[in-house]
Amino acid sequence: MRKHIKYSLSGILILGIFFIIFSCAKVSPDKLSTEFLPLDGNPLVSFRILLNVGSVNDPAGKEGLCTLTFSMLASGGSKSLAYKEIQKKFYPMATSVGISVEKEMSVFTGTAHVDNLEKYYAIFKDMLLNPGFREDDFKRIKTNQLNFLEKTLVSNMDEQFGKEIMNLMMYEGHPYGHHEAGTVETLQAITLDDVKVFYKEHFVQGNITIGIIGGYPENFSAEVLEDFSSLPGRHTPQLSLPEQRMPSGFEIVIADKKSPATALSMGFPVSISKADDDYFALWIAVSHFGEHRQHLSLLFQKIREERGQNYGDYAYADNFIQGRRKFPAQNYCRKQQFFSIWIRPLANSNRHFVLRQALRELKKLVEEGIPEERFELTRTYLLNYTKLYAQTLGEILGWKMDSKYYGYKDFLAEVQKRLPKITYEDVNLVIKKYLNFENLYIAIITENAESLKDALVKNTPSPISYANPNMPEEILEEDKLIQVFPLDVKPENVRTAPATDFFQKSGVPKK
Amino acid sequence: MIKSISVVLSLFLLFLIPSMLQSSDIFPYKYKVEQLENGLKVISIPLDNPNIISHYVIVRSGSRNEIEPGKSGFAHFFEHMMFKGTKNFPREVYDDFLTHLGAGTNGYTTDDYTCYFAVFAGRENLEEVIKMEADRFINLYYDEEMIKTEASVIEGEYYASVSSPSRRLFELLRDTAFEKHSYKHTTLGYLRDILDMPNQFEYSQLYKKRFYAPDNVILLVAGDYDHDQLMEYVRKYYSGWEKSNYTLVTPEEPPQTKAKRAHYDWPTKTLPRLVIGFHGPAYSDENIYKAALDLLAETAFSRSAPLYQKLVIEEQKCLSLYASFADRRDPYLLTFNAIVKNEKDLSYVENEIFKELERLKKEPVSDEFLADVKSNLKYSFANALGTTDGIASSLAYYINLTTDPGTINKLFSLFEQVTPKDIQEMTKKYFIKTNSTVVTLTGGKTK
Repeated sequence: MRKHIKYSLSGILILGIFFIIFSCAKVSPDKLSTEFLPLDGNPLVSFRILLNVGSVNDPAGKEGLCTLTFSMLASGGSKSLAYKEIQKKFYPMATSVGISVEKEMSVFTGTAHVDNLEKYYAIFKDMLLNPGFREDDFKRIKTNQLNFLEKTLVSNMDEQFGKEIMNLMMYEGHPYGHHEAGTVETLQAITLDDVKVFYKEHFVQGNITIGIIGGYPENFSAEVLEDFSSLPGRHTPQLSLPEQRMPSGFEIVIADKKSPATALSMGFPVSISKADDDYFALWIAVSHFGEHRQHLSLLFQKIREERGQNYGDYAYADNFIQGRRKFPAQNYCRKQQFFSIWIRPLANSNRHFVLRQALRELKKLVEEGIPEERFELTRTYLLNYTKLYAQTLGEILGWKMDSKYYGYKDFLAEVQKRLPKITYEDVNLVIKKYLNFENLYIAIITENAESLKDALVKNTPSPISYANPNMPEEILEEDKLIQVFPLDVKPENVRTAPATDFFQKSGVPKK
Repeated sequence: MIKSISVVLSLFLLFLIPSMLQSSDIFPYKYKVEQLENGLKVISIPLDNPNIISHYVIVRSGSRNEIEPGKSGFAHFFEHMMFKGTKNFPREVYDDFLTHLGAGTNGYTTDDYTCYFAVFAGRENLEEVIKMEADRFINLYYDEEMIKTEASVIEGEYYASVSSPSRRLFELLRDTAFEKHSYKHTTLGYLRDILDMPNQFEYSQLYKKRFYAPDNVILLVAGDYDHDQLMEYVRKYYSGWEKSNYTLVTPEEPPQTKAKRAHYDWPTKTLPRLVIGFHGPAYSDENIYKAALDLLAETAFSRSAPLYQKLVIEEQKCLSLYASFADRRDPYLLTFNAIVKNEKDLSYVENEIFKELERLKKEPVSDEFLADVKSNLKYSFANALGTTDGIASSLAYYINLTTDPGTINKLFSLFEQVTPKDIQEMTKKYFIKTNSTVVTLTGGKTK
């Protein structure tokens, strides 16, 4: 049944009164879902073709197949047009097709000016519904994916490398337990036939939500719906995920590579997501502790502002991918979530100290909660800052789709309703309920891994020095506590391996 | 009926996107320009969108202004110091205010300018934002100890990018291609200068006096407010700011007389990289040289271009291939960039790029392809203007160059005038071997 909701914007006189028709439909689990947001007069149209298929659907031994398959659609030719012809046609329109593959969902994105909508959509549709699956595209895209794993991720982007390792450690033996791009070994095992089979099996109506927003003509959404209805009317059964495994004490992986800087990521699974009532209180706590790239972050204040250790230090209540500016990107939802801390690269000489400092701050948060004035400040901040989350067409559509995933009509509207009701006590309760400071997965990219392991296991004091000879006394006093802050690290819980060993046979080299 | 504040706000923003291509002007918004007696230029774009305001302060000083030895990276360093607060509004008060506001704020530094922005909801907050921002520009306060701590943060920022081979490649390109001009170093600066920043308290005071003055700054505001009200606040809070009257003379880059080459051995495995730089002209919205070269860059190296199709799609020698000719106030580099899949193909790709440039000297681009390029530039620009902040940030980039918001329309008008012959002539003029600098980077020889 199609459901139409009218948004009346009466009372706001700018641009006159107009109506936004939201169309959200789900006929059966085997049929297409839709999220249509027509905006009469808007000169742009954005698409999000969202699939509840992701790397969890990769067959064993063929990890990376979902990414490779969907990349073949977004960056390869259709049956009627070779990829280079597509690029020539897209170029004057200044448009393209994007793809993002996550654990449980993947999304194709595209934006066109209404002047070009007909031409753009004809190609877009063809790429997704009639993929060419040419050998030369396959070779190009597979090589690019291999190069990303082997030569880019482990060599050229240490911060991302650290985050990925932490993710993999957290989910060893779990459907989330491999990188979306797979491993070198599994990618090499994938054939073009595997790609065709994966597409046939998963690019089906029941897995797809068609999202369109913008100034498209009246009959356009019906046309798109009809086109995509040519796909098989079935769905991929959702995997039932095993319980997440909490680390036992500190479980540490150190990737050894020559570098003057150390990247640190740490975290653990949490049993809630945006779908849960407690999420809103936990969000306030974690925003106070480490709001992404904001001065508000306590970690930022303590590590960067007071001590100048690095460029920034943040924490997240769930999987966070940065989109436009510093705002969260959309369509990265997961059923199972994790808490994490991201310490940006710092001098190797200070790595042990800062690790201690971050964990000491986490301990204080768990044991003492957040100060009452910080509760008020953070809540007000989130209430206002989230008003800036959905500005572009793609963001508005993306948030609407994510809202549906988490069971809301409009998550951002829910934020405005829920946050004012959260109390100081609620926040301190959820901190105790969901956070801990003794059991964490810790990923470290650094040089001389063995010497760090040795220092960690022996709890060697880790004093630091400053360029400023007149550091405030209270900071130096606190430093004396941090540099000997005990971390109970068991030698058997620390794995070290050369960075080049990662993402070969498995994401993290086996124990 | 469902009422959703966030959705309502957001949906209104979308209608800011103009029907650009039906308008004679690529930048169709009405703007007002006023100047205070102290030289502060104010560019105001009131928009019919409820509630969102973008506030940008553009200081026309970037790494270009770092003309003295040992001072590379200083513009960026000073950007960090600008967040230290004043005696009136210490750092904590300033941060608390912006946090309560839930504003999206930050700063960034480029070769030519440094920009401080705040995007926030609520026209009722405009006066307080202007008051706080004016105060920090006029009364910034920090001591020697704060400089020393912040210098360590810059070192941390350097470390954050230390694993990027592209950053190293461009450092080496600029250092090799330029002899005299301050474009020789990147915005982050040389590591040796970064390490000396803790000792630069006195120079930082001089830097502020020279460049953080109203005659070197543009205030850009876009969004939901009344222009007269804005100007009342601006006059109230900015009039006491004193002029600098400092004139920067950047060293003139001598003409390059022989081809240059440099190489960097990256310590770990990475895809080989190649960049070829040619000295080109400065930004101009009057002279057709720069516009023609912008179109040449697209003609020769866009995804639709024959060389891209050959090296990336057909032969699959390159992961990426693109040209870049950023707009700069002084003559800058036009670069051709490739990430190559196999080290043994580096020379081949380099030769193919030079061969393509030679071909373009002989064969003019077709009218049809040039029309496609012009269309691409128009739609690319139009698509970036979807929000209040998109309008402000796009304009900030251009007004730093000339201080005139009209420069965008003048530039796109120049694009329209460029002919295949213009492009051919510019190719002959600039793409000569003796004007080139080739830099390569390969990795994996050591652990």
